[in-house]
Amino acid sequence: MKILVCISCVPDTTSKITIDPSTSQISSQGLTFIVGPYDDYALSRAIELKESNGAEVIVLHVGGSESEALIRKCLALGADSAVRVDGNPTTSTQIANAIVSYVNQNPMDLILMGKESIDYNSGIVHGLVAGALGYTHFNPVMHLDVAGDGLKLEVEMDGGKMDVNCPLPAVLGCQEPIAEWKIPSMRGIMTARTKEIVVLPLETASQIQIVKADIAETARKNKMIKAEDAEQLIDLLRTETNVL
Amino acid sequence: MKKVAIIAQTKEGQLSDTSIQLISFLSSFSPESILLVAMGEVKFASIPASKSVDVITLSEGLWTDSSAINPLVNAVEGYAVFGIKSIQVDNLLSLLAASSSQEMISGIQQMSFSGGKFSISKSIFSGKASLSLTSETVGYFSLNRNFDFSGNAEYGEQSVGSMSTLTTAAGGKASILELKPITGSIPLPDATLVVGAGRGFKDPGNWTIVEDLAKALGAATACSKPVSDLNWRPHHEHVGQTGVKISPNLYIACGISGAIQHLAGVNGSRIIVVINNDPEAAFFKHADYGIVGDVNDILPRLTKKLQEHLN
Repeated sequence: MKILVCISCVPDTTSKITIDPSTSQISSQGLTFIVGPYDDYALSRAIELKESNGAEVIVLHVGGSESEALIRKCLALGADSAVRVDGNPTTSTQIANAIVSYVNQNPMDLILMGKESIDYNSGIVHGLVAGALGYTHFNPVMHLDVAGDGLKLEVEMDGGKMDVNCPLPAVLGCQEPIAEWKIPSMRGIMTARTKEIVVLPLETASQIQIVKADIAETARKNKMIKAEDAEQLIDLLRTETNVL
Repeated sequence: MKKVAIIAQTKEGQLSDTSIQLISFLSSFSPESILLVAMGEVKFASIPASKSVDVITLSEGLWTDSSAINPLVNAVEGYAVFGIKSIQVDNLLSLLAASSSQEMISGIQQMSFSGGKFSISKSIFSGKASLSLTSETVGYFSLNRNFDFSGNAEYGEQSVGSMSTLTTAAGGKASILELKPITGSIPLPDATLVVGAGRGFKDPGNWTIVEDLAKALGAATACSKPVSDLNWRPHHEHVGQTGVKISPNLYIACGISGAIQHLAGVNGSRIIVVINNDPEAAFFKHADYGIVGDVNDILPRLTKKLQEHLN
């Protein structure tokens, strides 16, 4: 089985987000980047499938050369090879089209990625890729097992979950608890140094113009109520807000 | 504006309030025509809108096979297609967008249309920031559940126009083995009132006081990540960066310290109440109302007060 795992490289979850006043865009100053947490789950499950069933795992990232250390980490975890589509995509469509054009040249049985990236939170790249390729699509997948020629999945849906049989080829958005995050072994780190990262050009454009980014200011009341007067909370919620 | 289509789930044959508000919102763009694509049965005969709304009912609520989607692609060709964020709506919108080679924007917080151009504010970094975008060509739009419809004009009820059903093998070669709906509780993403609890409860056996308060309020219950990792509560109740993101009118956080990852899942809440015995808990800085105290003492007292009000 050939598995493509698409990863995002995103500021870690404790980052303080700021704006660069010279560009009016999100500043990358002082940010530590990580592999998107949901993508990390997808990669971990792909590595498990490789170990249990035998599979070739290829990691794909659309982004600049600054992401190579994180791609190398994915190789250290056990991915066989990696592709970086070089560029700075600004929209989901650009990222999806880059993945689609790679897969058109290199057909896959299974394409895994996180249910969303934690920076732009769009959560639609897997659907866009599936729609363009005509593959089966499920999102967000919580359990994945190989069953016969296809997969058996547990998928979250609005108001519950479902178990499904999923034929291949398929594109899946993943979330916990599909796998446990893994830590690279020393051997994995050593062998990753010699694995290949193929660099391809980003050739797709978007018609969406990014004007500027802003920090969301949510003003909170910060009103403290003494523990002995806790019941006042109910009155305040009724009189000062209309939530009750 | 040209033609607009709305993709919406129905529950017991009815549209949600936000879907009805979305139709009113789009009516203000003076579209040539309005089409409702209903994921589920339709039992209503009129909708508040600027003009009569045509309805297509999908025979399947689940779309997984993009090769089976062509009849729907044809049905919405030439329309700008909108939906309110949910798992199934976003999945279908993205499949449709790619199948018709159109761009899609999700996570929309604000939107206007003038001079043939959409101006959009999209929520990013779990609500910590926003991105302003413009486009003349985007065809697919997913609006956040807490999109501000407050400036909507009021429209009178319009009879539903043409009605049709689209039957197709939506699931394609995939098949459902078992549906496992969450029963007996209010689904978190839909909830307008939420009570969340964290590791401060020390033992899952103490959860009854959370459930009692939630019941008195008519609220859904949620938990922090450590609590679902410990299997004290099911995963679908985990609210935060890697769990469910909620945007209720009221969120009461009990025994939750307010880690940045938890805040990322709840900062869309309109009013936040924090109850914690640690006066240094980071969550108090992000609260509208805070009470420093023992949850085991405070929660039953709030429940009692609410019950007195009801009686």
